[in-house]
Amino acid sequence: MSVPTSPAVGSLPVKKATRDSTLLRVSKYIAVRILTLFATVVIGVYLTIMIANMGGFVDTIMKGQIRDRVTQGIIASPSAQTMEPEVRQKLIQDTIAKEEERMGLNVPIAVRNARYLYNALTLDLGRAINMTSDSGSKQVRLILLERLPATLLLMGISQLFLFFSSIFLALNLSRRYGNFWDKLVITLSPTSAVPPWFYGIFLILIFAALLKVLPFGGMVSAPPPDNPLDYSLSLLQHLTLPALSLILSSFFLSIYNYRTFFLIYSSEDYVEMAKAKGLASRDVERRYILRPTLPNIITNFALLIITLWSGATITETVFLWPGLGRTIFQAIGLYDLPIIVGSTIIYAYMLAMTVFLLDFIYSLVDPRVKVGS
Amino acid sequence: MKNKSLHYLFSVLIALSMILAACAPQQQATEAPTEAPAAATEEPAATAVPTEEPAAPQTERRGGWLDEIVVSVVDGDSAVSQIQAGAIDFYSFGLASDKFPVIKDAGISTTQSLGAYYGMSFNPAVFTDTAVLNPFSNRKIREATNWLIDRNYINQEIYAGGSLPRLLPVTTQLVEYTNLIETARALESKYAYNFERAKEVIDAEMPAMGAELGADGKWQYNGAPVTLSFLIRSDGDGTRKPMGDYFANQLESVGFTVDRQYKTASEVFPIWLGTTASDGLWHMYTAGYIPAGFGSLRDESGNIQQSYLNTSIQASEPFISNVADTEFQQLGDDLAQGNYSSKEERDAMMARALELSLEDSLFVWIVDQQTYSPHSNNVQVTWDLATGPESTNVGPYNLRFTDQEGGTLKVGTNDLFTQPWNTVGGSNWAWDAGVMRATTMGTSNAGGGGGLMADPYTGLAWPQRVVSAELVYKEGLSINKNLDWLTVSTAPQIDVPEDAWVDWNAAEQRWITAGEKFPDGLTANVKSVVVYPDDLFETVKWHDGSPISMGDFVMSLIQGFDPGKPESPIYDESLALSIDAGLVSFKGYRITSTDPLTIESYTDAYVSDAELNVAPLWPQSPFGLSGENAWTVLAISNLAEEAGELAYTQDKADNAEIENTSWVGGPSLEVLAKYLDQAAAESFIPFEATLGQYVTKEEADLRYANLKQWFEDHGHFWVGTGPYFLDQVFVTEKSLVLKNFSDFPDLADRWSVFSEPKLATTVLDGPGQVTAGSEAVFDITVNFKDTAYLLVDIARVKYILYDATGTVVSVGDATAVSDGQYQVTLSAEETSKLPTGSARLEVAVVPIAVAVPSFTSIDFVAVQ
Repeated sequence: MSVPTSPAVGSLPVKKATRDSTLLRVSKYIAVRILTLFATVVIGVYLTIMIANMGGFVDTIMKGQIRDRVTQGIIASPSAQTMEPEVRQKLIQDTIAKEEERMGLNVPIAVRNARYLYNALTLDLGRAINMTSDSGSKQVRLILLERLPATLLLMGISQLFLFFSSIFLALNLSRRYGNFWDKLVITLSPTSAVPPWFYGIFLILIFAALLKVLPFGGMVSAPPPDNPLDYSLSLLQHLTLPALSLILSSFFLSIYNYRTFFLIYSSEDYVEMAKAKGLASRDVERRYILRPTLPNIITNFALLIITLWSGATITETVFLWPGLGRTIFQAIGLYDLPIIVGSTIIYAYMLAMTVFLLDFIYSLVDPRVKVGS
Repeated sequence: MKNKSLHYLFSVLIALSMILAACAPQQQATEAPTEAPAAATEEPAATAVPTEEPAAPQTERRGGWLDEIVVSVVDGDSAVSQIQAGAIDFYSFGLASDKFPVIKDAGISTTQSLGAYYGMSFNPAVFTDTAVLNPFSNRKIREATNWLIDRNYINQEIYAGGSLPRLLPVTTQLVEYTNLIETARALESKYAYNFERAKEVIDAEMPAMGAELGADGKWQYNGAPVTLSFLIRSDGDGTRKPMGDYFANQLESVGFTVDRQYKTASEVFPIWLGTTASDGLWHMYTAGYIPAGFGSLRDESGNIQQSYLNTSIQASEPFISNVADTEFQQLGDDLAQGNYSSKEERDAMMARALELSLEDSLFVWIVDQQTYSPHSNNVQVTWDLATGPESTNVGPYNLRFTDQEGGTLKVGTNDLFTQPWNTVGGSNWAWDAGVMRATTMGTSNAGGGGGLMADPYTGLAWPQRVVSAELVYKEGLSINKNLDWLTVSTAPQIDVPEDAWVDWNAAEQRWITAGEKFPDGLTANVKSVVVYPDDLFETVKWHDGSPISMGDFVMSLIQGFDPGKPESPIYDESLALSIDAGLVSFKGYRITSTDPLTIESYTDAYVSDAELNVAPLWPQSPFGLSGENAWTVLAISNLAEEAGELAYTQDKADNAEIENTSWVGGPSLEVLAKYLDQAAAESFIPFEATLGQYVTKEEADLRYANLKQWFEDHGHFWVGTGPYFLDQVFVTEKSLVLKNFSDFPDLADRWSVFSEPKLATTVLDGPGQVTAGSEAVFDITVNFKDTAYLLVDIARVKYILYDATGTVVSVGDATAVSDGQYQVTLSAEETSKLPTGSARLEVAVVPIAVAVPSFTSIDFVAVQ
């Protein structure tokens, strides 16, 4: 069936064709984008698996560790002290074999990798090899979920504070380019070269060891208060130093970055024009500086949100904060592949979704952007 | 302009502060600790039950000294600061000896115990690639490395003087070392640091192996430098890296080229243990071992075979590639298998084996690292000298504030709840076990004898809930009695009675008797008979309020067999391995009376100390874990395991993809609570065919009701009979609260005699000049905290006379004069052996109540 194309018939079919064309374009874009992102996730996760097990060398390492651990464990156990040497020897060998089987080392590496990949993609996170959750479960899902609130609390508060305060202050500084505060921020921006855990150590020394006003670490006092209000206060008390160290380590550089970014946009011709037209500076900021920078700010914010998932490994360790960063760090040390893969796949899916959604959000906040064009 | 200058100044200040911080001086090495600090109380006489001499003031308090113990996870690096700040009172996990100066500077107290053994493991194989020379395939070169290593330097520089140099395959200054003190000291003198001697031996041996010294002073073989692949551990406590670097420097100084390969444990194991020694992928490795319990350290004769011989139970490289001297091989094997008939014979074999071990030197020992657990000065801590506070069974009994009864003590440790807690296949991590011990009655370190209490200072055992014990062993075995609380005798043959329980029939849920399994009769090497108090079942209570019962004893015993039987609904293949292994030497249990409870045990396995062969039954973990078994808790856990919802062991849980049983937290609790309701509703008696003979339905109802109430009150199923009960558990926050158990049968001062180790301080005084050929007298003063050490508390005082070269001239025993006073009289014959020059007299005081001797020496001038 042919479609009438005569201009005389009116503009309706043209509009419909345009709409169809947009729908087709967007649908095609979505399909291609989803496939591309999925392929990226598959490749990323498979690479993670390959890297985490060092292309199979981890098997050799783990077998060596099992042998050493089992042998030393049995030799040191009181009951083995009184065993006949042959019996003890057989016990060692059998236990090693059993432990290798439990860890799946008897299954070919290619099969295991494929299994890990499939399970990861279907979000079947499975069971950890060595680690357990604090409550004693070996399910990766529970291990990660147990640590998630602590990480979200620490990272959420510190990163969101950092993000919004940086934008607010940077915008102010960009308006007062060259004044004392601007120069102070520029001067202090190299302090961000120091990692947060370094600040953490100093903060612990000052506020916990010297002044004795804040705790050395942990998430809540021991034993945790029964009363919800006291519990919250204790939590806040324990949160202060790790959050402060995370904020301090990025504060000035973050302001400096946004301030520079805003300065670039502030010197655009249309901003000068707006100023020349006598618009109020708040309006200039909001309409002519902030608006065109929105896609970048939204991108930063979206990536910040998913970065919360990864935690702050060393800072969490310094403050004994029971977060995901420490868990993943421990998993890497123990070659606990299911936990590494589990955390990676969740991050990968979140990243893919964010990237996917950002394309649409860009077109909403910036009329110049068209999805799939 | 002004602002600009201010900015510059500010920037410069920041940069300067960073540079200054980086340039801060390193912590200076300090002197080695000579004795562990401790608070004061009396010490048990070796021949008396310690409760006869309570040193602390009388108290009416039952259970532990404290009202409450709060345990939480604390970073070891901040432990000292946290004690100073009052955030915690005691850090129970052992800190490495590099922290010792910090603890000392902080002015707080500390425990001191054995941490790890470090040394050099050598590849003894001749390499398959004949173009490559392995100098360490030559025993004499391995032996020479002992002279190449200045152990005192390593201790001072790397371990801040806080550890003990080690030369021998026995723990420095512990039971075996003390036992062979003259041999040990003589060998230490012979193998003292002597660079020239090491070089001399290497210079003589290398050419004989076909190597030649190049013009650059480096050994060459087949035209290439003799390069040693040195695996140096860079992880762990960080001390093995500088130790490896030191040794590499020394080897380079005598002409070797060293390829230093810094690796972590996971990188090293596949090479060290995983490659054939003759493949030549490594020459040396900075190895380390963790000590076993104190009980096992009392007899280290097995260490010869384990550390040097191809028959080592480690059964891996590099041991299996070592071709040892025939005499050494025979001695090591005989010592491991107990092929000797008296202590004297054994000691002579050990003394010779020590000499030969240094000639073999497959493993060159370097240091016994000490660990330190700091605590506030107003806290009293009792600790096991070999394994530290967390492994001390008597520790929780004596933990207290020195200036008060009661109070809340805050304890920090390395971790908590690392694995699920249950007594069948649960957590055995030191920090978890340390807490569990506070909830239990007491355990002997060796063999895990319940109802006994391990002596933290000697490794022996004392009766805790045992009235009397009798040990009978087969004639010809070398077993020695040290304490008077048990009677010991020998018999030509020990027959196991026909009605003794020797195995378990899981299908019929009944015991298999000796008569049934061994119709032709059964014999054993050792028999022990243990009698419990008359009022045992009235006085000992579980933390949930239930009195302990026969059902607890029998259920605990069944639990040690049933999971190993394929017919059992709770069969666990991983437990079957150790259960089957244990059955080889196990010869039976027999309950001869329940009022008073009297239990006989029969076994073929034995250790050389009689006290550690007594095998009382107690409702505690049958798998060597630190916890007790109320039969009700086992019953509901078994029901959950039968239903396939939980599994005691990680292995079974992983295979079945179910949760690992935890009695303190996690998803297990809900499942266990469900089965508690079910069991209570059915008045369920597990293994009823057998346990039904000991447990009535009424008892079952009462016990389940008490457990249910306990769970409602405390939110977990960890129930024990010890001086403290587990009140609250916070698995995610990683903290817990222990509270005093006021229904505990004993007063808080029950084990006050072990409040601190009675380490002797010794002063030696005598002439500054001795004429060869004439008699010389030296006075020894032995004190404990300014009080004379009683003669009855000292096993012996040895003296060792060295000449100017450090060679041992004579060895003898000092003469007792009075309490705290001994005298050494060097005879004219002994002094005549001294050449003109300086000489040294050393004395070693060996107390009975502590396994650590004290040493002192005096230098004098010998003249002709």
